[in-house]
Amino acid sequence: MKIVLVLAALALPVLAVDSSIRPPGWRPLEASSHALTNARIVVKPGVEIKKGTVVLRDGRIVAVGEKVAIPDDARVHDLDGATVYAGFIDAYVTFAKSTREAPADGGPPVNEGALTSGATAPFLGVNSAAGGPGAKSVVTPERRMAREHAPSQKSLDALRNEGFTAANVVPDAGVIRGTSTFVTLASSDPDVAILKPDTFQHVSIDAPRSGGDDEDRKPRPYPASLMGVIAVVRQTFLDARHQAADHAHFAKHPKDRPRPNVDTSLEALLPAADKKMPVLFEPASVLMVERAAHLAREFELQPVLLACGQEWRRPELARAAKAPFIVPLDFPEVAKMPEDDDWQAVPFETLRAWDHAPGNAALLRREGIEIALTTHGLAKRSSFRANARLAVARGLSTDDALAALTTIPAKICGVADQLGTIEPGKIANLTVVENGGYFDEKSRVREVWIDGRLFPAALKDEKDKKEAKEERKTLTATPAQQDRGPLLSPKIIWIKKATIWTCGPKGKIENTGLLIVDGRVKAVGSIEQAPKDAYVIDLPGIHVTPGLIDCHSHSMIMGGVNEGTLPSTAMVRVGDVVNSESETIHQQLAGGLTIANLLHGSANPIGGQNCVIKLRDGAAPEDLKLKGAPGGIKFALGENVKQSGWGDAFKSRFPQSRMGVPAFHTNRFTAAQHYMAALAKKDGPPVRRDLELEALAEIIRGERLIHCHSYRQDEILAFLRVMESFKVRVGTLQHILEGYKVADEIAKHGAGASAFSDWWAYKLEVYDAIPHAGSIMRERGVLVSFNSDSSDHARRMNLEAAKAVKYGGTSEEEALKFVTINPAKQLGIDKTVGSLEPGKDGDFAIWSGHPLSTTSICLQTWIDGKQYFEREAAKRRAEARNTERLALIAKAKKLASSSTDDKGGDEKAKARFFFRTLEERQNHLCVDCCMERTLSWQN
Amino acid sequence: MAKLISFLLLALTTAHADTLLLRGAVVHTVAKGTLETGDVLVRDGKIAAVAARIDEKADRVIELKGMHLYPGLVSAGTDLGLVEIPALRAAVDDRETGEFTPEVESWNAVNPDSELIPVARANGITHFAPIPQGKFITGSSGMMAARGWTIEDMLVRRHTAMHLVWPGHSLKIPGPNTPTDAKSLDEQSRERKEKVREIERFFADAEAWGKRDAKAAKVPAWEAMQPVLRGDVPLIIHADGQREIKAALTWSESRPKLRIVIFGGRDAWMHAEELAKRKIAVVYTEVFTLPVRSSDSYDVQFAAPSILHQAGVSVAISEGLDRASASGQRNLPYIAAQAAAFGLPADAALASITLVPAQIHGVADRLGSIEPGKDASLFVATGDILDIRSQVKQLWISGVEQSLESRHTRLAEKYRNRPKAK
Repeated sequence: MKIVLVLAALALPVLAVDSSIRPPGWRPLEASSHALTNARIVVKPGVEIKKGTVVLRDGRIVAVGEKVAIPDDARVHDLDGATVYAGFIDAYVTFAKSTREAPADGGPPVNEGALTSGATAPFLGVNSAAGGPGAKSVVTPERRMAREHAPSQKSLDALRNEGFTAANVVPDAGVIRGTSTFVTLASSDPDVAILKPDTFQHVSIDAPRSGGDDEDRKPRPYPASLMGVIAVVRQTFLDARHQAADHAHFAKHPKDRPRPNVDTSLEALLPAADKKMPVLFEPASVLMVERAAHLAREFELQPVLLACGQEWRRPELARAAKAPFIVPLDFPEVAKMPEDDDWQAVPFETLRAWDHAPGNAALLRREGIEIALTTHGLAKRSSFRANARLAVARGLSTDDALAALTTIPAKICGVADQLGTIEPGKIANLTVVENGGYFDEKSRVREVWIDGRLFPAALKDEKDKKEAKEERKTLTATPAQQDRGPLLSPKIIWIKKATIWTCGPKGKIENTGLLIVDGRVKAVGSIEQAPKDAYVIDLPGIHVTPGLIDCHSHSMIMGGVNEGTLPSTAMVRVGDVVNSESETIHQQLAGGLTIANLLHGSANPIGGQNCVIKLRDGAAPEDLKLKGAPGGIKFALGENVKQSGWGDAFKSRFPQSRMGVPAFHTNRFTAAQHYMAALAKKDGPPVRRDLELEALAEIIRGERLIHCHSYRQDEILAFLRVMESFKVRVGTLQHILEGYKVADEIAKHGAGASAFSDWWAYKLEVYDAIPHAGSIMRERGVLVSFNSDSSDHARRMNLEAAKAVKYGGTSEEEALKFVTINPAKQLGIDKTVGSLEPGKDGDFAIWSGHPLSTTSICLQTWIDGKQYFEREAAKRRAEARNTERLALIAKAKKLASSSTDDKGGDEKAKARFFFRTLEERQNHLCVDCCMERTLSWQN
Repeated sequence: MAKLISFLLLALTTAHADTLLLRGAVVHTVAKGTLETGDVLVRDGKIAAVAARIDEKADRVIELKGMHLYPGLVSAGTDLGLVEIPALRAAVDDRETGEFTPEVESWNAVNPDSELIPVARANGITHFAPIPQGKFITGSSGMMAARGWTIEDMLVRRHTAMHLVWPGHSLKIPGPNTPTDAKSLDEQSRERKEKVREIERFFADAEAWGKRDAKAAKVPAWEAMQPVLRGDVPLIIHADGQREIKAALTWSESRPKLRIVIFGGRDAWMHAEELAKRKIAVVYTEVFTLPVRSSDSYDVQFAAPSILHQAGVSVAISEGLDRASASGQRNLPYIAAQAAAFGLPADAALASITLVPAQIHGVADRLGSIEPGKDASLFVATGDILDIRSQVKQLWISGVEQSLESRHTRLAEKYRNRPKAK
């Protein structure tokens, strides 16, 4: 009761402030009552008063309507011919100068001194409370823009001149970045401006910048890969919740347990983790839009997304996010190429992205997504209106566009009760436009009203005005997914007559048939008559094999194949970064490949988790994943993990020798045992969920297969023995170049061997590699497969298999199994794939002749009874793409050359033209990858 | 006619010791088609006769019924011999520093005892051209045999080609992985034109030097350029992209005396007509690299040699100069095979790894085909050499049979014989 009274007492002087007299010498406070008359009033999108009045008092809207009584003390503003909108809101604003220094390189290097094999907990001996060692600098949930808000008048003017009256000011660096603050744009004084101190917690999902050139390579902090970033986000949300639970437990047991840590970063994340504050995800690409949605579901967060501008590539992923989007209008601007031939080197995808960009906002609306528009990303905010008009020309309705500046951002930012419409009681923020509506070319922003105060817009130089060219207003490019997806999906497929390599107990059968029904093999054998409604394949001389399987691929991985920073990165998952947009899918289908085991690289003794996919070209990442495939993880031994080829800056991470590798493995597996024991305890403080140890515990429980990059016989045996001491059977030994020397031991252990066919001598530890290795291991009872480890070799795994015939004398049928049923067994997926047997998936390749012959080519590739590759269709696809590319070049040239003043262009927008998304930045790794190469636009 | 000549040759040199008769094989002469059953007579390390039937007494007769006889494969350009283990700097000798180093000679750094050479040889490669790499003019290459006690023993001929790496025309684009101090596109364009001008200046200077008084002081670099300028030695221009190839073609037009060859040639098919018209051969190294444009057909580089061939361009196929190519040399026939599967006629595919590289390097008088007068560098295979499953059974270089053993066969044998582990 007492408290209420105090509050009431405080309230009185607050009201009094407005009418208070300022000291002499100060400009007296301006009138607080205004009437805006004779204006066209857009109360909210779709609702307007043709001619009416808005009355403002004390910073609030007090009345609006056609016939409203004008208070006597109101200043009257005749707005005849002007339009009044609810004040515009920009939900995503960064001001030029941040008071906080952004970690340009991701933060301090890994605390290498701590990365010894001695510690078992916490994570690698380093407090990993903020997502792991080194992650601290990119994990700053405690950062509050409310504490840093100090915009310059110029930056406020720039927004007000475009009609904006309020903005959400966001943190600009890091992964978990901190909270944004919602302000009105009347004042730079934070105490006055802030309407809502903490709007969103911000989470950016982008690949960390790669280091310098190969020469001056230096250790990078964790996370250095996109999958590492996602692991950091997951671990940090887990840690925030854990800390809260730990403290709750401590409150109940203050005397019989150790005092829990207090990490203020984690504390700051708790409102977001508890769904009390929305999380604004900032995915760098369209596939990361999907990952953001996935994270939001996993942690039951309340997501808002910042559009990446590439949603047109996969609109369905944006829709499935079930969240509103804040949409920048930072369209790429076509750059002038120095020479005509340089146009030929502009990637098709770049041209497409440029052409689609202005349509992105309209496309999101068509998907039923709520959008807010933002000036974010523009070099000059003054180009906002021209770009908004371009978005409208590309199909965004003016009502939707208006909503995207008023009601929707108000709602997303949680200020809809105070802003967004012109209704009595709301804050007196208004945007006044003359000479037409905001989206008319000839109109101009006349003034804005913020908190009941008038801010006339600057008179703009008309020369500044840059209108989009007519050609830019139409779309030339086709939808991104138009030429992807299955070519045929017949219910019944009948291959009439072929030589069929079943790779099963029936072996190779000549002159026989194959029947596929509902995506599965129904029968192998001759059938007299075509089944009704069957799609009949009747081609002379063909051979049919099961779809080929690549047990070691890095082809469709985005944002880094290695999280090579820490010696154990068991917490990162390739499954988070599967690149469904990679052209390599099509190229590998064209070689009869249907399944790839996407592996983390070999930069550390314990790498990341793998992902087995089917090459269902056109499907989104989740639909590429082979359901039911057991989880796996990459391990590595030898030169790569001891960093012998990494340069002189890499000499302190443990291990640096082959002696240290088994010591390290033993250490982490022991730590995992401790973790399992802690989890098994029923009482005591809550156990922190540790994503690294969780993955290792899965291995110990036999739920996760190890795929271990291994070369020399000594390290192979040492590794097998360590794993045996933890009762772990290794899934596959990868590359296993000296496996032929210890084939008996491998066979006895029961590990599979997934080898190169004939690579050797590219480094010292492969000087003893021989092309007979696969055959020798097979003869001694090892289950052998051949893998590609290369986006090139993956296009001809059948020919790799032929090398086992040539060098090792393995029979043709057994050799083909090296790339079909054997890798299927090694990956634990042989129940459904790897051979042509009744009940198995309809995955097969059709060859023009003998599949091990160099003169044969793959004619068709089918997965799940759907045709994904057919040679003639592939030719047509390439022709259509090339025609489209040339049309886009012609359009781009026209728009580039017609710009009268070369310097007049927006440099940032031009740079954006060249921007290559995560999906386009293919990794250039070939064989044996432990080092990422710098990517460039070389062709 | 061929038969008659061989008969005459035989008549002239009868009763010579050291003759070898290879009898009854499928003889892939390359130069004159295939004899379904044929005999080849070798005398003094040279091919003395090739005919359907040679009734000549020889010191040694080998029956090759059902087997295939091929001329030794010629690798048109490789790291073989120059690189043992690419990851070890100490074992790499394929690159020099400096922009114009025509006096560099690649054969001087070939290790005759490289473990990689017998591995290549076991798949039919009898000769190879080790290529010097570097900035622009990188040096000259010679043709080496895949056997010999010393480099001099291995050398078939020195100075068979001069190498020019055409400056890259790719633009560094602004982006997240580009240094912030990256130059503007126009600046980059100026620089790349400047590099071409630099090359032209170098050639002009070399030409001027060549006209000096014969008594003038020697300058090794300028001297090395003279046979190139005269057109005695081909200038092999390393260029892959359309822009680089086009620029190289444009530049070389002003120097008609040069004998140009394009090496790499990824996009050469785009200029097939001009290449054919100007009789510029291509060493195509990009069959197995990935297409660079997502609008390219998946098989654009599988089919490129066939497009060049159809236009009338002389095409050699090579593994290229990727450092792993030294250890991967044995796959040379399978690269040609891929081109054959995608349209290159089988005989042209075979010529692309035998006669055409010999012609390009000016050693076709001795290598590249089974013809009388040429070196008896040939091998026997169980089947089509373009088929991986075929085995090379016997191989001769200049009439001397070579071991097909290698580090690989030795290790395979050793560990095949390892007693079963307890």
